[in-house]
Amino acid sequence: MGSTGKRASVFATLLGASLVLAACSGGGTNTDTTDQSNEPVTFTYAYEQEWQAYNTGTAATNASQNGIPMNRVTLGFWYFAPDGSVAPETDFGSYELTSDDPLTIQYTFADNAVWSDGEPIDCDDAWLAWYSQSGQTDTFKPVSTDGYEDIDTVDCADGDKQFTVVYNKPYADWVANFGAIMPAHVVEQEAGIDDLIAAIQDGDTKGLEKAGDFWTKGWVFKPGELPDASLIPSSGEYKLDKWESGNSLTLVANDQYYGDAPKADTVVIRFIAADAQAQALENGEIQAMDPQPNPDLKAQLEALGDQIVFSQEDQFTFEHYDLNFDTVFKDERLRQAFALCLPRQQIVDTLIKPDNPEAIVLDSRYYLPFQPQYEEVASQITPDAYAEQNIDAAATLVKEANAVGTDVRLGYIVPNPRREAEAQLVQEACGPDGAGFNIIDEGDKTFFNANGALVTGRFDVAMFAWAGSPLVTGSSSIYVTDGGSNYNNYSNKKVDELTAQLNQTTDLDEQQNLIVQIETILWNDLATIPVFAFPGIVAYDATAEGVEYNASQSGLTWNMQDWNIS
Amino acid sequence: MGSYILRRILASLLILLAASFLMFALVTLSGDPLAEFTGSNAPDKARLIQERIETLNLDRPFLVQYFLWLGGAIGCLIPGMSCDLGVNLSNQPVTSLIVDAFPTTLQLVLAATILAIVLGISIGIISAIRQYTAFDYSITFLAFLFYSLPIFWVAVLLKEFGAIRINDWLAEPAVTLPTAIVIAGFSALFFSAVVGGSRKQRLLVGLGAAVGAVLIFVGLVASGWFSNPGMGPGVVTIGAAAAAVGATLLFTNLENRRVLFIALGTAAAGVITAYAALPLLEDPSWLTLFGLGALVTAIGVGLGWIFGDIDRPAAIRAAVLTSFGVGLLVFMDRTVSSFAAYSAEVNGRPVATIGSKTPNFNGTFWEVTLDTATHLVLPTLAIMLISFAGYSRYSRASMLEVLNADYVRTARAKGLTERTVVLRHAFRNAMIPLATLAAIDFGAVISGAIITETVFGWKGMGVLFTSAVQRDDAYQIMGVFMVTAIAVLLFNLIADISYAILDPRIRLS
Repeated sequence: MGSTGKRASVFATLLGASLVLAACSGGGTNTDTTDQSNEPVTFTYAYEQEWQAYNTGTAATNASQNGIPMNRVTLGFWYFAPDGSVAPETDFGSYELTSDDPLTIQYTFADNAVWSDGEPIDCDDAWLAWYSQSGQTDTFKPVSTDGYEDIDTVDCADGDKQFTVVYNKPYADWVANFGAIMPAHVVEQEAGIDDLIAAIQDGDTKGLEKAGDFWTKGWVFKPGELPDASLIPSSGEYKLDKWESGNSLTLVANDQYYGDAPKADTVVIRFIAADAQAQALENGEIQAMDPQPNPDLKAQLEALGDQIVFSQEDQFTFEHYDLNFDTVFKDERLRQAFALCLPRQQIVDTLIKPDNPEAIVLDSRYYLPFQPQYEEVASQITPDAYAEQNIDAAATLVKEANAVGTDVRLGYIVPNPRREAEAQLVQEACGPDGAGFNIIDEGDKTFFNANGALVTGRFDVAMFAWAGSPLVTGSSSIYVTDGGSNYNNYSNKKVDELTAQLNQTTDLDEQQNLIVQIETILWNDLATIPVFAFPGIVAYDATAEGVEYNASQSGLTWNMQDWNIS
Repeated sequence: MGSYILRRILASLLILLAASFLMFALVTLSGDPLAEFTGSNAPDKARLIQERIETLNLDRPFLVQYFLWLGGAIGCLIPGMSCDLGVNLSNQPVTSLIVDAFPTTLQLVLAATILAIVLGISIGIISAIRQYTAFDYSITFLAFLFYSLPIFWVAVLLKEFGAIRINDWLAEPAVTLPTAIVIAGFSALFFSAVVGGSRKQRLLVGLGAAVGAVLIFVGLVASGWFSNPGMGPGVVTIGAAAAAVGATLLFTNLENRRVLFIALGTAAAGVITAYAALPLLEDPSWLTLFGLGALVTAIGVGLGWIFGDIDRPAAIRAAVLTSFGVGLLVFMDRTVSSFAAYSAEVNGRPVATIGSKTPNFNGTFWEVTLDTATHLVLPTLAIMLISFAGYSRYSRASMLEVLNADYVRTARAKGLTERTVVLRHAFRNAMIPLATLAAIDFGAVISGAIITETVFGWKGMGVLFTSAVQRDDAYQIMGVFMVTAIAVLLFNLIADISYAILDPRIRLS
C-alpha cells in the first residue's frame, strides 16, 4: 500500500505542477473580435426532416421537407402569403385572366428573369411545366395533373417571354398553376434533345421518355451528394450550395438574381428533431424554428426570457369529427344529439389554448380562423343551435329516438395523446352521464390502414384532421357522394352540384358564396363537425429580423430573403 | 479450426436467410405503406396511391415481393454483383441511405464503446482488487446509478449543463461558490479514493487535493486561461516525463534504471521533434502527424534495441508506449491552443448540442478536430456513462472470481510480485468472459444508438430505423435489419473464435 501511496503522490504532484504551468501559458493564437458590420450574415433555421430533391412536383418528392428549402430557389408565378392566400410573385413575372369563357390566362416572365447559369427563363420552361403535369405521358410522374390536364397546349415559341394557356373547362384553382417552374434547358441537356418544344410538338417519344425519366428521378439525390451546379440552377434569391447529409443544407445568395438581393448572404437549414430544437436555439446554433408545439416546449421557451421571441399561431390543419351515415348516425336525431353534446368549447379550452391562447372553436371546413374570410363565413353557416353545447337537449333527443345506451365507436389513430384526451372529454359529455350514448373509445394504430377502421367504415365517429388550403378543389373529394376521401358515406345531391360548380368557379367572391351554401348544408346534415385549428408555434433569436410565420405549406422559409441578424 | 469456421459461416448464412424471411413477413404484413394517404386530401390522391403500389410491388403476392427483394439483396453479399435493397417511400435507394448512415453511427458509438470498455474494465479490476474499500463502494454506487439512468434524460441534462451553461460560463469565466465546492469535493473524493491507505492518510490527501484544485482553478480563471487555453512546452515536457515513468512502471519497475532512461530518452526525443517541427504542425494533414509519430516511435525502438541489453523487450515496449503518450500530449497541446480561434469562429459558443459538425465549417486541421470533438463529447459521454456501468460490474465480478482461484494463490506462494500476479495470472483469465460480452455489444452497437442519435441530431442507423418504422417503410427497415443481423452474426463468430484462442481448454476439447 505504501508504495502505491507514494507513487500516487508523485503523480498528484506532477499533475498539480503541470496545471500550474498550464495556467501560466496561454494558447498559441490571439484572436481579435473583428468588426461585425461587414461580416457575411449566416442565418440558420431548424427543420425536422431532411431535404432530398430539387424537383418538388413529382409524386415521390412533393413533401414539405423538399419544399421548405426550395421556396426561394425555384420560383413560380405565385406563392402562399401568410394570410393563407395565393399572392403573385412580381419579381418573377405576372399573369392576367384575359377571358372567362374559355378560361384563358396570359403569363409574362419578367424580362430580366434568368436562371442562375444565365439562361433566360422563358417559353420552354412554361412548356415543361405544362407538359410534365398534363398527364399526357406516363414517363413524367407528377404529384397531380389537376388543372393542367384541361390545357391543350401552351401558346408561345422558343425564347418568348410571354405565353397564354387556354383551359378546356373552367378550373377554380387556375391561380395555383405554374408555380415552382423547373429549368427546361437542363432537361433538354440531360435527355439529349435539342428543343423540348419541338420534341413535344413532333411527338419525339424516345426523347420525351428520357426527359420524363430525368424530370422524375434525375433530381432526387443520394444523401449529401449535390450534383454539379449546372444541373440545379436557381431562379430565386438563393441557390443550393452544399449539402452535408444528416446535418444541413446550405443556400447562398444567387448573384444572378434579377430582383432585390436577399438580406442574409447564407441561409443554412439544419435538420433537427422537434424535441431538440429549443436547446439548439438557446445555444445559438439556430436562429429560428417552427416545430409542432407542446406545453413543454412553451415552458422551455418561456424560460429563455429575452434571449428569444416566440409566438403561438394557428396551423393550416383542422380537426373534425365525421359521423358515419351507414351506422347509428343514419338517424338525424342522433346526429343532432351528438352535435349538441360534443364539448367543442371545452376541448379548445383545455387542449388547444395552452398551445395557442387565441384559439377559438372552429365553425368552417373551408376557412380557418386566421384567414380574412373566416369570420364572415362562420357567422353565416353555423346554426345557433350548435353554437353552444347543450347536454340536456341532446339527452332528450337520444331518449326520443329510443336510443339510450346505443354504442358509439370513436375511431382515431394512436398514439396521439391529444385525441385520447378529446375522447375522454367526449365520453364525459356524450356518455351515460351526459347525452346517454354508450361511447366506446376505439383509438387504433391501424386506423388509417387500407383494411383499417376508417376506410372500411368500422366507426361511428371518426376523429382526424385535414390540411387546409386557399385552393378549393382539394376539398372536393371529401363531401361529394362516393368521393375518394368521403369515408363516412355522406351524400347530398345539392352538395354534389354545388361542389361541381365550385370547382369550375374562378371568381373568389363567387367561390366564397358557394362555400357558404355548401357549408350551410353540411351543418344542417351534420355530416362532419369542425372542432379546432391545430396550434402552431414560431420562435426565433432576439437578434433575428424578418421572421414571419406562415401557416400554409410554404412554412417559415416563405420569406427567407428577408431574414437577417442584427 | 478451419472447418469449424466454415461450418459457422454456413450456419450464419442460413440463419440470415430465415431471419430475413421472418422479418420481411412481419414488416410487410404488419404495416400499411398506403396508410398515410388515407388522411391526406392531396388533389390527385388516387394517382399517388397507384404510383406507390407500382414502385413497391404492392399488387404482387407477398412471396413474390420477398423474392424480388431477396434477388437484389443477395447481390450485396456476393462480390461483383450489384447490390440493390430497393427504394424507400421517398424513392431513395436504401443502399445509399445505409452507406450514408453507417459511418455516422460508427463515428458516434465506436469511441464511446471503446472508452466504456477500457474505463469500465480498468475501474472494475481496480475495484475488485480493492474490494470493500470506499473506492469499491463509490464505484458500485455510481455504476448502479448510471445503469438506471434513462439516457434521454441524461442527454437533455448534458446539453443543458455540459453545453449551454458551459458556453455561458466560458463567455465570462468567474469563480462562484458552487463551482468551487464542486471542484474541491470532486478532486478530494477522487484523489483520496485513488491513493487509498489509512483513514488519516486519505483525509490528508483529500484535503490537499481540494485546496490545490481550488487554488489552481482560481489561478486559471484569474489568468484568463479559459478564454485562451493552452498547455505550453512546460506541461508537455512534464507530461512526457510522466508518460515515460508510467510506461516503465507498467512493464518493469522504477528500479530498472536502464528501461527508465530509455523511456525518458524517447520522451525527450518526442518533445524535441514536436517543437522542431512546429511549422509543420500549423495546419498538418493526418499523414504528417503519423509520419512524425512513426519517427519518434522508431527512435524509441532504436534506443531500446541498442541500449536495452537484457531488458530489450521491456525497453522497446516501454519506449513504444511512451512515444504514443507523447504523441497524444502534443496532439492535445496543439488542439487546445486553437481553442480561442475556434471559439471565435462559432460565435463564442464552442460546445454544440446538435449534429456531428458545424455546417460549412472551414478551419485549420486543429480547428476541425476541435469542431468534431465539441460535437462528439456530449453524445459520447451519454453513451459511455451507461454502458461503462455494465462493463465495470462484469469485470469486477469476473476478476474477483479469478482472484479467489487456486492458481492465483499458487502464484502468490511462488513469490511472484503482486503486479505479475494481477496483470499476468489474474487479469488475462478474467478477460475471457468479457471477450464475448464486448463482441456481442459491438454487434448490437452497429444497429445504432436510437435515443442518443435522435436527441443529439445524428442521422445514423438508429434514426434510419425509427423513421422507417414510423412510416411503415418496409425496404428501409429491411436494409437496417440486414446490416444489424450481419453485424450480430459476424461478431458472434468473432466472439466464439476469440474464445477458442484465449482459452486453451476450449481449443483442446
